[in-house]
Amino acid sequence: MEELRKPIGRRSLLKAGGFVAATGTLGWLGALVTGVGTGSNQRKRARWVKTVVRPTLGETNADYKRFSGFDMFALYRPLKTQHEGTGSFEAEQVSKAKRLIAWTNEKKPGFSLPDQKLSEGAWTVMRSSRPGTGLLSWTRTPGRTSTEPSAQRYTASPEEMANTVKAAARLYGARLVGIAPMNESYVNLQVPRQDEKEKDKDIVFEDVDVPEVTDTKFVIPRKMKWVVAIAIPMDIELLARTPTPLGDAASALGYSHSAFVVSSLAVFIRGLGYEAIPCVNDTAQSIPFALDAGIGELSRLNKLVTPEFGPAVRLCKVFTDLPMAYDKPVDFGLVEFCKTCKKCAEVCPSRALSFDDEPSFKTKGPWNNPGHKTWFEDSYKCFEYWQKSGSACGVCLASCPYTKGDQAWIHEGVKAIASIAPATDGVFRIMDNAFGYGKQHDPEQWWTKDQPSDRRG
Amino acid sequence: MTNGDDVVMITIRKRPWWFWALAELWLLLEVLLVQTALASARESEYRAAAISWIAAAILAAAGVFGWLRRRDSRKPIEANERS
Ligand code: SF4
Ligand code: SF4
Repeated sequence: MEELRKPIGRRSLLKAGGFVAATGTLGWLGALVTGVGTGSNQRKRARWVKTVVRPTLGETNADYKRFSGFDMFALYRPLKTQHEGTGSFEAEQVSKAKRLIAWTNEKKPGFSLPDQKLSEGAWTVMRSSRPGTGLLSWTRTPGRTSTEPSAQRYTASPEEMANTVKAAARLYGARLVGIAPMNESYVNLQVPRQDEKEKDKDIVFEDVDVPEVTDTKFVIPRKMKWVVAIAIPMDIELLARTPTPLGDAASALGYSHSAFVVSSLAVFIRGLGYEAIPCVNDTAQSIPFALDAGIGELSRLNKLVTPEFGPAVRLCKVFTDLPMAYDKPVDFGLVEFCKTCKKCAEVCPSRALSFDDEPSFKTKGPWNNPGHKTWFEDSYKCFEYWQKSGSACGVCLASCPYTKGDQAWIHEGVKAIASIAPATDGVFRIMDNAFGYGKQHDPEQWWTKDQPSDRRG
Repeated sequence: MTNGDDVVMITIRKRPWWFWALAELWLLLEVLLVQTALASARESEYRAAAISWIAAAILAAAGVFGWLRRRDSRKPIEANERS
C-alpha cells in the first residue's frame, strides 16, 4: 500500500489551490449576490444591500412640515389656468378625448380599445376604495370583521410580531415589507375631498383608543407607533409598453393590489387584537416611511428605488399599535449611481426630471414638500405630458437600470459591484444603453405573451 | 502491426497552474454569457440576448483557438531528450 502513496507535487498543489480559490471566489460572489437566509419570514436580501443608521438621501431641515395632502391631480387644474388662462384645462381635456378616439381608429399601437380598457379593469379595486371607507376603512366594520377587539390578544416578542405581520403581508401579495416608527411629520394635514359636494377633512393625532372618521376629521390614535411599509412590484412587461394606455395597466394593477394587501393586512391585525389603519397613496407620504423601513433608497426620480425591483413598485402602508421590531434604512449605492446615471432625466419626454449633479433642498413648485434634500421634479411638466400622450407615462420607471427582470444572474452581479465600487457606475450605465435596456417593447406583442399567472413561482 | 524495433513515445506534459485558472475563468464567463442570453430572450430583451450570444460565441472561438495554439506550439521532443 505504501507505493501507492505518491508525494504531492508543487504543480498539483498549485492547481488544487487555484481550483479551491476559484470555487471559493465563486461561492463568495454567490453569497454576496444572493444573500443568506435569515430563517425569518423576511424576503432574503442580497448581501450587498447594507443596513445603515439613517436613509442615504432625504434628510430634513426646519422647513419640513406636514404636507397639505393636495397632490398633482388636485393642483394641475388651477396651475393650468394660472399659466394659460380660464378654460384651458377644459379645452385640453376635450382635445385629449378626441385624440384618444382618433388614435384608436388609426390603430396606433398601445391605444386599441382592449389596450385602453385593460387598465380600466385593473383600476377596479383601487377605484372602489376611498380613505376611511370600504376596503380602506379605519375601523372595525360590522359584517366583515368583528366590531369588538378580540377577547384574546396575540402577544410575542417584537421580533416575532414583526415576522408574523410580514409573513401575512407577503401572503397577501406584498413583496417587500419593513417596519418603520410612526413619524407624524410624514402624515398629510388633510384628506382632500373627492368631489365638489364633500369637504376636505383634517387628519389629527389624539390620545384615543380607536381610529375615528367623523364629518370633519380623521383621527389617528397617538398609540399607533408602528408603520408597516409595503412595496408591490409593477408588471414590467406592461411597464415596458409605456407611454400608452396599455402601459398604464401596470400602475393601475399596482394600486389595486396595494388596496387589497393593506385592507387584508388591517383585518388580520385587528383579528390579533390591535388597531390598524390601511392606506395606499392617501393619508401620508409613503416614500419617507418606506425609506425608514429599509425598502429602498431615494433617487433622482424623487421616488423610491428598491434593490430588487428598481422604481417599478407601488408603495402602501398600514399604521398600527401592534408592537414590532423596527427595520433599518438601507444603502446599496443608489445615490452615487444616480449622480452618474441620469438616464431617467434623459429619456423623460417632458424634461421634468433634474439633471443636477447633486441633490438639494431647492423645490420646483407647490407640488413638492419643502424641507428635505432630494432631486426635485417638475410635476407640472410631467402631468402636462400625461395629458398630451393620453397615458400616465412611466417611461422613467421603465428606463431605470434597476428595473430589470430577475432571470439573468448578471444583473445581480452588476448591482453587487455597483454597491461597493461607484467607480464602475459610468461603465454600467453605458452598458445598460448598449444592451438596449429600458426601450419600449412592441405593445401589440403583449397580448400574445405569457401572463404572470402562466409563469411559475 | 509493428516489428519489435518500433518505439512509441508518449509524452505527457502537465499544464501550468495558471492555465487551469484561466480555463475556469473562461468557463465561468461562458456560463454567464449563455445564461444571460437565454434569460434575456425569455424577458424579451432581444438586443441584450443577441449581444450575449455574440460575446459567448467570440469567447468560445477564442478558447478553442487558444487551446489549439498551445498544443501546436509545443516543441517536438528532441532525440537527445529521449533517455
Ligand atoms: S412619468 Fe414620464 S413625463 Fe413624468 S417624469 Fe416620468 S418620464 Fe417624465
Ligand atoms: S435611471 Fe439612473 S438616475 Fe434615474 S433613478 Fe434610475 S439609477 Fe437613478
